[in-house]
Amino acid sequence: MTSSVDKSQTGQKPVKKQGAIRVEAVVPMLIVVGLIVLYFSLFFDAHLRRGLEFGATQANGAEVNIGTLQTSVFNASMLIGDVQMTDPLQPHRNRVQIGEVRFGMLWDALLRGKVMIDEATVADVQIDTPRKRAGKVLPPPAPQSGPSASDRMMAKMKEAFSGNVVGDLAAIAAGANPAEQLQQIGGDLKSDAYMADLQKSMDETEQQWKARMAALPRGEDFSALRTRLANVQLKDFKDLQQVQASVKELQAIRDEFEAKSKPIAEAGSSLSGDLKGLQTSFSGLDDVVREDVRGLQARMKLPSLDAGNLSQALFGMDVLNKLQQARGYMDQARQYMPAKSKQATKPAPRNIHKGRDYAFGHPKGYPAFWLRRAIVTSTLPGGKGLSGEIRDAATDQALVGRPMIATLKGDFPQQGVAGIKAELVVDHTKPEPLERMELSVARYGVAGRSLVSSPNVTLGFAQATAAAGFTAELRGEQVAIQASNQFRDVAFETTAQSPVVREMMNASLSGLKTVSMDARVSGTWGDLDWDLSTNLGDALARGMKRYLQEKMDAARKRIQAQVDQRIAAQRQKLTARRGELESRLKSALADKQAQVDKLRNDLETARRDLEQRKNAATDEQKQKLKQEANKLLDKWRR
Amino acid sequence: MTLILKQLFALLRLLNSDTGTNQIAAGVACGLILGFAPMLSLQGLLVFLCMFLFRIQIGAALTSAAFFAMVAWLFDPVSHALGASILETESLQPLFTTMYNLPLVPLTHFYNSVVMGAGVLSLVLAPLVFFGSKRLIVAYRVKVVARFKSSPFWKLWSGTSFFKWYSTYDKLRG
Repeated sequence: MTSSVDKSQTGQKPVKKQGAIRVEAVVPMLIVVGLIVLYFSLFFDAHLRRGLEFGATQANGAEVNIGTLQTSVFNASMLIGDVQMTDPLQPHRNRVQIGEVRFGMLWDALLRGKVMIDEATVADVQIDTPRKRAGKVLPPPAPQSGPSASDRMMAKMKEAFSGNVVGDLAAIAAGANPAEQLQQIGGDLKSDAYMADLQKSMDETEQQWKARMAALPRGEDFSALRTRLANVQLKDFKDLQQVQASVKELQAIRDEFEAKSKPIAEAGSSLSGDLKGLQTSFSGLDDVVREDVRGLQARMKLPSLDAGNLSQALFGMDVLNKLQQARGYMDQARQYMPAKSKQATKPAPRNIHKGRDYAFGHPKGYPAFWLRRAIVTSTLPGGKGLSGEIRDAATDQALVGRPMIATLKGDFPQQGVAGIKAELVVDHTKPEPLERMELSVARYGVAGRSLVSSPNVTLGFAQATAAAGFTAELRGEQVAIQASNQFRDVAFETTAQSPVVREMMNASLSGLKTVSMDARVSGTWGDLDWDLSTNLGDALARGMKRYLQEKMDAARKRIQAQVDQRIAAQRQKLTARRGELESRLKSALADKQAQVDKLRNDLETARRDLEQRKNAATDEQKQKLKQEANKLLDKWRR
Repeated sequence: MTLILKQLFALLRLLNSDTGTNQIAAGVACGLILGFAPMLSLQGLLVFLCMFLFRIQIGAALTSAAFFAMVAWLFDPVSHALGASILETESLQPLFTTMYNLPLVPLTHFYNSVVMGAGVLSLVLAPLVFFGSKRLIVAYRVKVVARFKSSPFWKLWSGTSFFKWYSTYDKLRG
């Protein structure tokens, strides 16, 4: 009491002793817990729905809408209704529409931070349904570090298939003469650049050989050696020492000769090589001219009448789109269900702030996500519909020990699609990922499908009944895809302003009731081998040839002639210069070689002569010694 | 927002008083752990619970959490390297496997290289930050607050009728 009075007197507040535990926080904490419960009851579903829509949109590449979403915390279950996935190629239509997705998760797994769905139901699946409003399509993602080899390959294919070959041919049939457009060839012919390079190369060769010839031994050098050789004593030797001195001098002359003649011999073989190189470069000019002619044909829209070329122009983009779709799904599967890599060093994470997740699962553990079974149904009146199942969609297949298998069969009668059979296997249980898909559609209707659209001609299927088959096996970087389509009871729709084109198209397509297309793509993603054939391409090639072959040949000849004319003067000049250079260098070297050969003969004669003299002198000495020895022996015997 | 502002004013008042050094220092240390941990994680929730249950200065914790979150962001490459080396340590694999398959523990995201590295860094630095901030608070009170209170400006300000009125209001308000 006294102390409190004192404190109030001094003007200080009484300090209340407080414990370490904040008892008064219980009420605020209860309020916070209440707020959390309220949030989960009122707002969580809406926020989760938006989050899922955002994530699914990113994965789909186009807007995904979810109509309703209900969660139950106690049952750990979720009900998603009316899922609409926009088709990125046709934003007014849905790629897939799902009536309802229902599943429950295991609390046991959720407490471990994993999602484990024992059984899910995907009901009322529809494809290609109309949307109330066009879905937003996302721009293609920017490459992380420049285009990959497969991106470059795809871009190359796209460029090759996107040309309007049939339209260009129709333009020629309508009367356009492409060669006439070639009034003045621009200054960007490859042949010009090639010939400039040839000129430069010859200049350099000439300069090099000029310097090399100047460095080679001259006539005086060989004359000096010849004088020295003339002074060597080759007869009238008085004793063996004189012979030995001559041999020594001859050897010295020979050594010097060899040293001087060697660069000439080397220059000879080197000159042959250089002249051969020049000859090869000149032969290359023909290839470059051919390339120029081809380039001009392409620039003048003078296409080839080859059936393969026409087939690619008609169906190439379709197959390419299928291939790109397959690659997109493969990339997603490998991203979200990575195969167990054997690599000891793991790659750095894409975003360093997100780090890298490690998995420490054991054989009976849960992967981060595991959908054990999903039943896909779509029952329609009349017993028709769709049935299928998805098994073992897991983020860690090595842990689960089973590949993901999805099967689907049935019909979409509203869309006129019947006899769908599909099986997808994603096997990432081993280090090398494998995705395999088999899809067949027994019958689907085609109406108003455009194949060619150009100002001169349009071609398409007004109506047809089609069947399709698609098989793909993607193993590591290897690709093996086969696609086939058969269009029966085909009614073509073709328009053309020119009567000639109309006649040509009608003649080409006459009697063609079934169109088949077979495509095969194999190789690696960076180097794909294509084979595409269709009887429609064959028919068009045959029909068009009758009308166009003559015109095309004339146009080609004219282009060839114009290119030849353009480069003729320069080519002649270069050829003449090459001949002059060749003969000049060969002649200069031949003079030197003649001197070398002559001196070599002289040296050889002198060597033989001296050898004989030396042998004779040695024999004489031996004879002398023998006689003296005999004399001594006779004396001793006596 | 009002709650946060209230906590911040309480922090300033406590900083300038002679008491509560441990509360503020503990708040700063908790802020370090919060700032280095992911926003939605079990360890973050535990630290929040501790802040509520124990007398830890929440304003100090939230302010320092915001500051240390930025520091942690800058240190992410270091955290990733440290975390990756810990998670790849052969002798710790059985422990991590057990932890990974236990209930609740995976909710800490310990298996992420950045979370593991930042977590270890924050636990190592927390005692240092606690004692370091205690010393800094004492130094601040001696060198800044005491000097400020002896400055002519403060004397002039504390002599004003407004200040006297506010002091009376503050006392009455408790």
